[in-house]
Amino acid sequence: MKRMLGIVGLLLLLILIPFVLRNEYLLNLMILICLYSTLAHSWNVLGGYCGQISLGHATFFGVGALVFRYLWLSGVSYYLALPAGALSALILASIIGFPSFKMKGHYFSIGTLALAMILLITVQNLLPGVSFITQACLDQYSLFTIYFLALGVGVATVFAVYALSRSKLGIAMVAIRDDEDAAEAIGINTFKYKVVSMSISTLIAGFAGGIFAFYCGTYYYYVPFELGWSFDPLLIAFIGGAGTVIGPVIGAVVFVLLKELFATHLGQVNVLIFGIVFIITVLFLPKGIVGMAGLFRKTRETRETK
Amino acid sequence: MGTFLQIMSYGIINGALYGLVALGLSLVFGVMNYLNVAHGALIMLASYMVFWVCYYLKFDPFVAMILVAPTFFVIGWVLFQGLFQRLLRLPETEKIKNSLLISFGILLIFSNGATMLWTADERAVNTSYTGKVLELLGVRIPYIGLASIVLAFIVIVAIHLFLTRTYFGKAIRAVSQDQEAAEWMGVNTNRVCLVSFAIGVALAAFPGVVIALQTFNPIVSFDLTNKALIVLVLAGVGSLKGVLFGGLLLGAVEAASVFAVGTAYREVVGLVLFVLVLMFRPQGLGGRKR
Repeated sequence: MKRMLGIVGLLLLLILIPFVLRNEYLLNLMILICLYSTLAHSWNVLGGYCGQISLGHATFFGVGALVFRYLWLSGVSYYLALPAGALSALILASIIGFPSFKMKGHYFSIGTLALAMILLITVQNLLPGVSFITQACLDQYSLFTIYFLALGVGVATVFAVYALSRSKLGIAMVAIRDDEDAAEAIGINTFKYKVVSMSISTLIAGFAGGIFAFYCGTYYYYVPFELGWSFDPLLIAFIGGAGTVIGPVIGAVVFVLLKELFATHLGQVNVLIFGIVFIITVLFLPKGIVGMAGLFRKTRETRETK
Repeated sequence: MGTFLQIMSYGIINGALYGLVALGLSLVFGVMNYLNVAHGALIMLASYMVFWVCYYLKFDPFVAMILVAPTFFVIGWVLFQGLFQRLLRLPETEKIKNSLLISFGILLIFSNGATMLWTADERAVNTSYTGKVLELLGVRIPYIGLASIVLAFIVIVAIHLFLTRTYFGKAIRAVSQDQEAAEWMGVNTNRVCLVSFAIGVALAAFPGVVIALQTFNPIVSFDLTNKALIVLVLAGVGSLKGVLFGGLLLGAVEAASVFAVGTAYREVVGLVLFVLVLMFRPQGLGGRKR
């Protein structure tokens, strides 16, 4: 009950912030946090819960962005263009993604990386230009709308992942992550669950891509396909805590704030720091920041019982 | 016909380089099942070291190898002791996954660190023979390309001889076939893995020289890792003999694709080939089923 109240309070706070503090800078940061948290959760569903480490999530993020941009600029309203972008990411996943499950384990990782690079180079060649916002769309462009859309998608994603982690589906996915052969042996249709996990994941990635295309005014068409969009969610999810509900959100907050802190001084230092923290996480903290908090709580509890 | 031969000769030159690039990755993966995706970044660092050695000490790039290779042996030694040793006792799939993640972190650190230290500008080592070509039957072959083919052959043959003709090489092969059984036979697997990892990293020095003679920047590390992975899969995982074949095949396919789809999609053709092989023949074109 206390927890429910806390969540409702936090949500109210997030909704009220833009009305109370009329600060565009803060709003920009919060949009970015929502965007990265959504993208990291998209990776988390596949990598954190199902154990299929994708190094090519930019593929689906980029397609979501591309389709959203195209539809939005040609006059479709953004609340229709957003799910359309997500759906097209899912369709692309069913064409190239599901066959990729023929590749097991690390082959899946490097295969998805190759797919992302194929798409990046193709888009670079086919659409070398810059994507501008037309005048008609510029009238719709407001940070308020974008923030609430990003917040809505982000919160919905977190709740979806929470529901997933409590469901039979989520448990089957965790079983596949822990031991694929054993899961198969006790009668879990591993291919089916991996496909479902991939579908949910790519759908979320498509939504995140749409938010990006809505938020960024002018960018080269290939930007949402860049490798960074594959690597960042992996780092965020791992550092926050892969396979947890709250981990990617915490990771996104830390990531965006660090990025903001260093962006004005030293370009890509945040990636450097995140790389180091990432290695430490993989070696010593399999559940990331969330796991660390759990460790503290456990030691405190044991001390109290003593 | 003339242009075809010309383009194919560049394909072979590139292919030999790809073989060299994949060699270290393939050795490490074959012996201890570590997928070291940081290999491309290590080659990039080797190129920078070659560049600085040539710049400050006025060495010839090929002479600089005697400094660069031992340095990278030490770097490999340190990386293994500090990070990778912890994974040695994990089950195979966990080992591959964790080594992939850790080396991925290293890849990000090295490439971003290099960008910060030395900017993203393109660099190249200039020598007296840069740009000089050998005319052969109307085909122009740059001396540097020729040298890289010769280098690739020498290095791959040397590694092959080391693995098949020496006692330590025998121990490495034993570990790569069955780590546990090798341990029961009295092989110090820890040490074998440490040395072969260090050798694998030291092997980054050779493609590093060739790349330093062309143009390079920190971002090239992703491209190199990518090429190394493609060759690894084409060659058949852990097959050192297949590496040169896989590299040459990739180079030839890329060159041929220049005719078929134009230079813009040259990279894509290699990647598509890669994905197809991964899906339908994951043991590699020449590899045995594991």
